[in-house]
Amino acid sequence: MSVQFSKVCSLILLEHFGEIVEKVGTDLFQWGPKPLTLIASSTKLSIDKVKQSLCVLLQYGLASFAAAKNGRIAEYSLLPEKVFSLLRYPRYLYLIKTKFGVEAEMLVEEFLRSGYDSASKVILRAASRLKETRPGSEGGSNFPLLRDKFVLLVNKQFLVRCPSPSENTDGKASAVPNLTAEKTQLHLPPTLNIKSLTLLQEGETADAGDIGVYWSVNFDRFHQDFRDQIIVSSVSRRIDESASEIFRLLLQLMYIRTEPWARSSNYIPYSELRDTLRKKDPQSPILLHLEQYLKIIEADSTCFLTRVGDSGGGQFCINMYKIFEALTWTCIENIIVERFGSKAARIFRLVKARKHIEQEKIQKIAMIPAREAKQLTYRLLHENFLQLQEIRKSMANNAGPNKMFFLFHIDLEEVARMVLDFSYKALYNAMTRRAHESDENRRLIEKKQRIDSIALNMTEQGATPDQLQEIEEMMAPPEVDLLNKVKNRVQKLSEAELHLEQTIFLMQLFLSYNQQ
Amino acid sequence: MATRVKQEPVSPRKDSSPPPSANAASTSESEQRILSLLQSNSKGISDKDIQNEVPDPQERAKIINSLLQKGCLELFNQGEKLVYKYKNPGGSSKIKGADNEEKIVYSIIEKAGNEGVWAKDLRNASGLVQTTLSKILKKLVNEKIIKTVKCVNAPRKVVYMLYGLEPDSSVTGGAWYNDQDFESEFVDVLNQYCYHFLRQKKEAVKNCKDGPIAAQNLASASSADVWKYISELGISKVKLSVQDMETILNTLVYDGKAERTVLADGNHMYRAIESLLPPPGIVQTPCGVCPVLKQCSDIGSINPKKCVYMTEWLE
Repeated sequence: MSVQFSKVCSLILLEHFGEIVEKVGTDLFQWGPKPLTLIASSTKLSIDKVKQSLCVLLQYGLASFAAAKNGRIAEYSLLPEKVFSLLRYPRYLYLIKTKFGVEAEMLVEEFLRSGYDSASKVILRAASRLKETRPGSEGGSNFPLLRDKFVLLVNKQFLVRCPSPSENTDGKASAVPNLTAEKTQLHLPPTLNIKSLTLLQEGETADAGDIGVYWSVNFDRFHQDFRDQIIVSSVSRRIDESASEIFRLLLQLMYIRTEPWARSSNYIPYSELRDTLRKKDPQSPILLHLEQYLKIIEADSTCFLTRVGDSGGGQFCINMYKIFEALTWTCIENIIVERFGSKAARIFRLVKARKHIEQEKIQKIAMIPAREAKQLTYRLLHENFLQLQEIRKSMANNAGPNKMFFLFHIDLEEVARMVLDFSYKALYNAMTRRAHESDENRRLIEKKQRIDSIALNMTEQGATPDQLQEIEEMMAPPEVDLLNKVKNRVQKLSEAELHLEQTIFLMQLFLSYNQQ
Repeated sequence: MATRVKQEPVSPRKDSSPPPSANAASTSESEQRILSLLQSNSKGISDKDIQNEVPDPQERAKIINSLLQKGCLELFNQGEKLVYKYKNPGGSSKIKGADNEEKIVYSIIEKAGNEGVWAKDLRNASGLVQTTLSKILKKLVNEKIIKTVKCVNAPRKVVYMLYGLEPDSSVTGGAWYNDQDFESEFVDVLNQYCYHFLRQKKEAVKNCKDGPIAAQNLASASSADVWKYISELGISKVKLSVQDMETILNTLVYDGKAERTVLADGNHMYRAIESLLPPPGIVQTPCGVCPVLKQCSDIGSINPKKCVYMTEWLE
């Protein structure tokens, strides 16, 4: 939890929910779990406003509450990772769209908009939106399709059931509700009555069969998919398409038998992999060389896979931790290439390979002129990519530099944390700049919006093209130019934010694996 | 280990005073005898052996002196005794007419071989004063008997060695140094060519039908293969060894462009590889490569709202 992270979180809250929620969120971030009255006093907001903001935060799953020690009052705390997830919403939607199609995307979008909701309501809303986008189709006919997609999403665990208040064992109502969800029900798809859904759509009261059952998006599952995408694409970069196809299957098999975030998977037998592959495509050309491919993946320096036994044609284990360690190394090396040049990256990799190494040896092995090598090494040291360890030859206090060894080494976790931190900073900068750009030109943007709405009204009223032309000419050409420029800038910055988010995702993933 | 003693003419002993009757011919004859004796005993001979050969002390002294002057003889102190050893006069013949101090300096430099000797070590070994020594060294250098070679490890130090010798790679730094300067351009060019070679091999097997392992083996190259390719290209003026090639290939490994695998016989195979990830998102933003990111904050003159790098990037 760094200062930069807190700044980013505040900015995200400000952008999405406005000033008041941001104030409450920042306060919670800084102080940790806190009861309502204390939040009100430290933020100097009225109790009502704090209550409202907490409601918003709770609804979107950005905060949680738990009973304080005395059990009578609730303490609220912010979930910063969830706040950060707000930035990933476009990515989540894109993933669902490519995997399950537009209807599923709409369902997830509705969930993201409302935080949590019952299945019937979301399906109703999605149906009406579908009707808007495809005017020809009948709204009601979408229900079975939407319900199937919903069930699919629940089965694939992209949607998860919300915990509901449970009664205490002693029967007394406690002051702070206790939210629980039974494990068996978490991923149990709902049974929906399509007939009553149609009735509901027509504005009548009906029971769709899911009163009191709420669902929300399971972000964790999305992150697993992102993780798998990274791995599969890196296998395909390193070896080839077929190898990545095999690895995709291996990951699927891993889900069956292993906790999704385990450091390494349980053993996957070769025979099962072969059978799965055969079932998928009996004519697959990969089948011929499956064993060889596995050998190559196993022999790769990244250690994607380890062979752990010979029973069943060989047992394999996916080294999630090692993979992400290697990916983090690669990511940091790439950053160094871009920031300090490829010679610096050579030095960095050399230090990584040798663990501890002296300056003299660096220039000799890296084949870089002494002066340049020294400059680059110390630059990396200065920017905290390398660490320096002194070892004294003698224990005397007055031992000079001649009596010491200076060994360079790398502390990967520290470097990863630093990279993560400056990614947060870069993200914060990009967001600030984006807000600044649109602030600067607020007058212009608002004018454009006004003109657009007038033009829309006029078109509805049946205005002639001449009139429309006149309205459009209310914007002077230089203004149009400037507006386009600003639009481009904002778009470029938003793109940069998405790119940054990927680096951040990788670093966060590595650190979370590292902590296990 | 035998230590060298100062080789000054041996003065004849006072107690022995036979008349100087021996003529030049007999001297050279007995000199020949002693020479052959010296040549047959590579470990050296003692005073006694010479005494057996030439009993007359006066003559003995004369012979020894003349041999020393010709540079065919070396004197060593072994324990308490003097040991005489044969020395090839070929090298020393160059400094005919030189005085003894010069000879001592010469012999020390000669002994250092192609690794050379530092001026300071030379002074300690010869026991001469700095001024005399530098005078001698200057003279020898001018006469092209010895030469100075700049040492690659310690830029300010200069080593002396015989003129005709090729400096050792530990002094010159091997193929990568030209007159003490590291030829980084040469290394870079070789690095690129090696990478090119490995890439070519990898491209060539793209449509290999014999399975992935065969393809991978075909894409790999040993250092000897690369050495052959580079030698045939003829881009190097210097003769490179396979070892040198391996050094270059290792830089490729550290560049993340190649992977090294060890074969069962201990040789290395190299193969071009792709990086696991495309350039990360952060370096596609100006902040990722910003030199003043550390100083950047909301307040102060370096801030994201007024950032010139960002403005440039957004244009």
